[in-house]
Amino acid sequence: MTAMLSEAEAGAMTAARVVDARGTACPGPLLEAKKSMAAVAMGEILEVWSSDPQTKADVAAWAAKVGHEFLGAAAGPGYDRVFIRRGK
Amino acid sequence: MADNETLVFMVTHGPDEPELATIPFVMAGAAVASDVDVVMGFQGEGCLLMQQGVAEAIEVPSFTPVRELLKTIQEFGGKLLVCSPCLKNRGLTQDDLVEGAEIVAAGRFVAEVTSATNCLVY
Repeated sequence: MTAMLSEAEAGAMTAARVVDARGTACPGPLLEAKKSMAAVAMGEILEVWSSDPQTKADVAAWAAKVGHEFLGAAAGPGYDRVFIRRGK
Repeated sequence: MADNETLVFMVTHGPDEPELATIPFVMAGAAVASDVDVVMGFQGEGCLLMQQGVAEAIEVPSFTPVRELLKTIQEFGGKLLVCSPCLKNRGLTQDDLVEGAEIVAAGRFVAEVTSATNCLVY
């Protein structure tokens, strides 16, 4: 189970880049995160929007695997906002 | 590349089983997103997926279309290996295949599988 961020916690996140992966099927959000992370500097935050409820857990596993930091997810209107800090 | 993790996906279904034909592409897409090298091996009906125009026509609800995943896998350097006798049985040659597909025999498959981190068969 992936912990959800509160609205205040999510509001405190300053994403260097936001990628809209809503409507894409697995592994679309992961691929969008992978491609977009290249445009984010080390230590900065990438925010991924996904309408697939599995994405937050999938991104958490992906981030741990590839060396990024999964910061959490927040509920948006009909989608999740997933935050990852670039770690490598 | 040699020190990286590698997954081999053996694909034995094509248009006969669209969902089983799609899933290895989904997994391979997740693998390349995870910095894992990918080798896809196509045997039996699976080799039809490497025939020009066939993968483009496979769309399964709730899944990313195979054509999009194939493009991504190729962009990340995934290898596409196709069984030689399987092609011959279906009257196909290199000219019929998508760009980047490589016709190989059993020895190459054995070499890829034994040197990979793991192999998944679909």
